[in-house]
Amino acid sequence: MSYLSIFFQYAGQYLKTRLTYRADMLVEIFSDLLFQAVNLIFILVVFGHTSLLSGWSKDEMVFIYGFFLVPFAIFGAFFNIWDFTDRYIVKGEMDRILTRPIHSLFQIILERMELESLFGVITGLGIMFYSGRQLGLSLHWYDPFVFVVLVAGGALVYAGIFVALASIGFWSDSKTDIMPTMYNIGNYGRYPVNIYNRIIRYVLTWILPFAFVGVYPSAYFLGRDEWYGYAFFTPVIGVIFFGLSVVLWNYGVTKYRGAGN
Amino acid sequence: MDYIIDVKELRKEFTSHSSRSGLKGAFRDLFTRNYTIKTAVDDISLQIKKGEMVGYIGENGAGKSTTIKMLTGILTPTSGHVRVNGMNPHKDREQFVRSIGVVFGQRSQLWWDIAVQESFRLLKKVYNVPDDFYNTHMADVIETLAIEPLLDKPVRKLSLGQRMRCELAAALIHNPPLLFLDEPTIGLDVLVKLKIRELLKEINAKYGTTILLTTHDLSDIEALCERVIMLDEGKIIYDGALRQLRENWGEGKQIQFAFAEEATHTELQSLTHDHLVVWEQGSNASNWTASVENNEDIISSVIGQVVGAKKIADLKIVEITTEEIIRNIYEEGVIRNG
Repeated sequence: MSYLSIFFQYAGQYLKTRLTYRADMLVEIFSDLLFQAVNLIFILVVFGHTSLLSGWSKDEMVFIYGFFLVPFAIFGAFFNIWDFTDRYIVKGEMDRILTRPIHSLFQIILERMELESLFGVITGLGIMFYSGRQLGLSLHWYDPFVFVVLVAGGALVYAGIFVALASIGFWSDSKTDIMPTMYNIGNYGRYPVNIYNRIIRYVLTWILPFAFVGVYPSAYFLGRDEWYGYAFFTPVIGVIFFGLSVVLWNYGVTKYRGAGN
Repeated sequence: MDYIIDVKELRKEFTSHSSRSGLKGAFRDLFTRNYTIKTAVDDISLQIKKGEMVGYIGENGAGKSTTIKMLTGILTPTSGHVRVNGMNPHKDREQFVRSIGVVFGQRSQLWWDIAVQESFRLLKKVYNVPDDFYNTHMADVIETLAIEPLLDKPVRKLSLGQRMRCELAAALIHNPPLLFLDEPTIGLDVLVKLKIRELLKEINAKYGTTILLTTHDLSDIEALCERVIMLDEGKIIYDGALRQLRENWGEGKQIQFAFAEEATHTELQSLTHDHLVVWEQGSNASNWTASVENNEDIISSVIGQVVGAKKIADLKIVEITTEEIIRNIYEEGVIRNG
């Protein structure tokens, strides 16, 4: 498929440029690791005071965080669209995007990818294996495949929400703080939803379904069969949300006003 | 008749809200907003045939860029019929843009950080250009634009002139039958301009490429275009041959006199009273310009009469430039038998 070969062309070019600025890349990977460490320490501190949180143990919480890191890393690597309005609408870069024969969203993914974020996948896997061993979890032969599907679903949930938010830029190019706010809300998905009250739980499941990035799919691997229904629903939610966001995006493109008008 | 560009009653409106003044006004804006509709392109119709090179001119804000953006599929028209290369630009965008090349003078098509040839390679992939065509065609383009030595430099290290030549080359990678150029020579020096014009002429002759060009620099249009379309406040006010525009408007010549002493308007007028001459004062009282009909007898006679009576330091006969013609048209706002 030609989109795939274009992707590899861009990725190759990206690596070439990044390798000439090696120091930058190392700093970025290091700061990512630091950020992940801080979050992990937060969980450990909380469990210094209690051994169970709404029926979840420390190791289970750590496992969920580890899982969350994987779809989040994939999202971070390919959907750097938090500054879309500024970069593409206000500065008019969208003009250039729209004169090229590739889907506009795909072009932005290609241009803005940050492959070093994928390091988070390794950290996440490491954390999962560590806490999984503490919990004595065993792997089935099909678990890696389930893992891939659930991770893809989680990444699509994230991508869908942020693509939809970026699409707002086609209608209004005024500055808002909605992107950073949404990053914060996204963080709630990496803790078990039953520690929150019902409204928040409902929002995190059906409106801003960040729970499908962390806790629901992790429940499958933790053997928490009361959540299995949600766990297997992850790819469906991912596809629905991402699909809707692309529809919104495509509609937004027809409303694009260009820069300087 | 088959047209490359076929536009009928094309219209683009932008709505914007105007904010009221003061804190009270800002508060009222929260609930009811004053919307104003600005018509950027006002029901224009135009047809362009294959192989034409057309100059699209107008003052800032006349609607040139908006038209180009609708023709290239960037903006969706408010109403009207657009057919470019047989397609509807904003509907079949991805298919359509394969058949056009675009150069926006103020916006780069190239990747800032990577070498020019890497940018070319990415674009080659994006447009899916076959290797053998790419090699022969681009070798030609690279030679005409003399950008061979720039190919391994990153775009950010190029000067404006070097970058523009590379931009043009990038727009030609897939050899589009239709080329849109928006201010392609803005800020460039004469030599670079000449190179760019040369290439445009060459591809027009070789491939029959249709070119639509907007520019502030009328010398581009004089060098390249036989036809001009003039736009004012979103409407086409002239569409026809550049030659005809000159004939209708630039029929006269100007004689610039620099006298050794000061002269007055009445004095000069009385010297040349037997011909229709318009005298205008130049930078000071000894510099005067006489606008006369383009007729050798009249020019000689006017010069004779003036030189016979006054001492001359310098004398020059100039044709009225296209730029002046256009300025006159915008000032008067009408076209004589256009």
